[in-house]
Amino acid sequence: MPDLQTVTTQPGNREVYYYRAGSGEPLLFLHGSIGLTGWEESLEILSQSFDVIAPFHPGWGPAKEQLTDVSTTLDLVVHYDDLLETLGLDRVSVAGVSVGGWIAAEFAAIMRRRVDKLVLINPLGIWDEANPGEDFFAQSPASPTGVQFSDSDLRKSLLVEGRDGLEAMLQEALDLRATAKFLWPIPDSGVEAHLPRIGAPTLVVTSGGDRVLPAVLGDRWQASIAESQATVLPAAGHAAQLEQPVAVAELIRAWVADSTVATPEVKVFAPA
Amino acid sequence: MKFHWFNLMPWPDLPDDFRETHNSVWVDVDSRLYDPVRGHEVYNDYLDMLEFAADQGFDGIGVNEHHQNAYGMMPSPQIMAATLARRTRDVSILLLGQSIAYYNPPTRVAEEMAMLDVMSGGRLIAGFPAGTSMDGNYAVGVNPATLRERYQEAHDLIKKAWAEPDVFAWNGKYHKLRYVNIWPRPIQYPSPPVWIPGGGSIETWDFCAENEYNYSYLSFSGYLRAENLMQGFWQRMEEMGQDFNPYQGAFAQQVCVANNMAEAQELYEEHIRYFFERCLHVSPTFADAPGYRTEATIRAGLQAQVGLAGGSARALDLSWDELIEEGFILAGSPDDVAQQMEKVADTLNVGHIVTLMHFGNMPLEKTLYNTELFAQKVIPQIKDKFSEYEDKWSPHPLPAADMRMPREVPGREVGTAALRARLASEQAVPEGAPAGGGGD
Repeated sequence: MPDLQTVTTQPGNREVYYYRAGSGEPLLFLHGSIGLTGWEESLEILSQSFDVIAPFHPGWGPAKEQLTDVSTTLDLVVHYDDLLETLGLDRVSVAGVSVGGWIAAEFAAIMRRRVDKLVLINPLGIWDEANPGEDFFAQSPASPTGVQFSDSDLRKSLLVEGRDGLEAMLQEALDLRATAKFLWPIPDSGVEAHLPRIGAPTLVVTSGGDRVLPAVLGDRWQASIAESQATVLPAAGHAAQLEQPVAVAELIRAWVADSTVATPEVKVFAPA
Repeated sequence: MKFHWFNLMPWPDLPDDFRETHNSVWVDVDSRLYDPVRGHEVYNDYLDMLEFAADQGFDGIGVNEHHQNAYGMMPSPQIMAATLARRTRDVSILLLGQSIAYYNPPTRVAEEMAMLDVMSGGRLIAGFPAGTSMDGNYAVGVNPATLRERYQEAHDLIKKAWAEPDVFAWNGKYHKLRYVNIWPRPIQYPSPPVWIPGGGSIETWDFCAENEYNYSYLSFSGYLRAENLMQGFWQRMEEMGQDFNPYQGAFAQQVCVANNMAEAQELYEEHIRYFFERCLHVSPTFADAPGYRTEATIRAGLQAQVGLAGGSARALDLSWDELIEEGFILAGSPDDVAQQMEKVADTLNVGHIVTLMHFGNMPLEKTLYNTELFAQKVIPQIKDKFSEYEDKWSPHPLPAADMRMPREVPGREVGTAALRARLASEQAVPEGAPAGGGGD
């Protein structure tokens, strides 16, 4: 398991906290609303096929103080352009989950020549009044991210347990704060207007158990991206990479490596 | 000590099973519970109460701002303050306050407060709250991740707009204005006294110290639960080099005065219960949007200010006697209440008390009774406390000779005498409460 490392972007001059492991073609993994819990299982699996780079976005996790530096789509796209420059990577494939799906789509739309393949998993950023989902933000303080799991109890076992109580609670709150900065009060980031610019072959994955992003929105994302397919991962909630790490990793791997849409088996959780 | 009279202006007709049948008193509260014709009566009663308190000699009368709720129906405190400014003369207009982070441009707040200060002859106290999460984030839609930055910028802009005589450009992060030059300007130059209503965030305390602002702790949990917090505030003031002055602190306290304890319980308990059970029924999902509390505040374990999260939940399980023992309410005869108020002052060291003497669904007559007893029989016993300190946080109005009042309207009687005459004609005196109150 790789250690968390840092690099200061040039240009940009911003410290980036990231994990990196594996070999092969580079794959940039952009985390979701709840940040990274560490070198997650899906990343470990992907590192058997790719050179996986998994940074914290400015404002999330250890980069929490950087939230004041970023306000717009452009700020984030420039940040990731700087990171690729700094790491000496000309082109990468990008996989993004949740809020990371939005950032990945913007990056692929604006930095068209840097992205080989694109995988958007439960991407936020398009608002459908007929399918609003549950309010991401107005949640019980006892379980602020419970709604991001297909069953709120999974938050405990997959996100909270094994971490220091106060610090975990605080991190959960601060990561949600970062999400709010970009997607408050409804997740309409304006990304839809940019999607037709995306040239990379794109797989859109939504999750059957996602309570904040109804799975039908996958079709709307897919419809605006020229070379794209959409698929639905059954059972998983919004935090699909924590609930179904093997399936998520296989969907990403098959699309990036083989241009195929995998139909992975999903893990069944025993009733609590 | 100074005493202010403050009314949240709650909706008085929430059903008995409100807690069981409704999600929240705030944000998504069912608008079908509101009746605008009844609302006409309610607003006029509430304004009558405030004007009555002014006539009774309270130092200030208070209004505030909340949105999309049945807990406090003043989306615009300026509108209430404007009518009060015209109908009173000697009393401070305690606008506690306007949530300055909500408005774009914030110069609108500077303008309206300047209007109020001019209309009232320099009687305005300007309250600058951050606002609750229910109001700011969920009803008004302000991004919780940037609310505090917006607050700071709005504050800096408003203060400069009042004080700077020359036209200036404002190039802020959230507001860009090429020409700032508000008209009118406040009578109280460079600024009306500023009060900061807040919970217990360290940042707020430092802000009060740096700017010499009054810190107002508007809790509904009573003075005993506020002791640690106010001690923290005073300690921080000392660390920041501020000389102790009790008038730099204000505290909200529920007060129930009657001829004796039994009468107080008989008259007021049902309304106190209405307040805690229905008016504070805030869904926890709306109480604390992500980013609303700062990291330091979360670390300190401090809760959002309004709603049952802040310690008021306990009130639901307490008997009347326990509510008094634990300080949620001061209650009893005028002498009982004066003694308890002395304890409030000694416990918290605050010179400004924002009294709450109307609760939930309490009718006008009982409110006047409570108010008059307090004004006539409690205030005289304790008003000299802290008289050795200079109150630097009250307004400096025009001399009485320069103060203009509205013209008389022939055939339209106003004021306390007219109010009493109307109530007498309606024969709406509650049982057990003498019509004339406790001491004319």
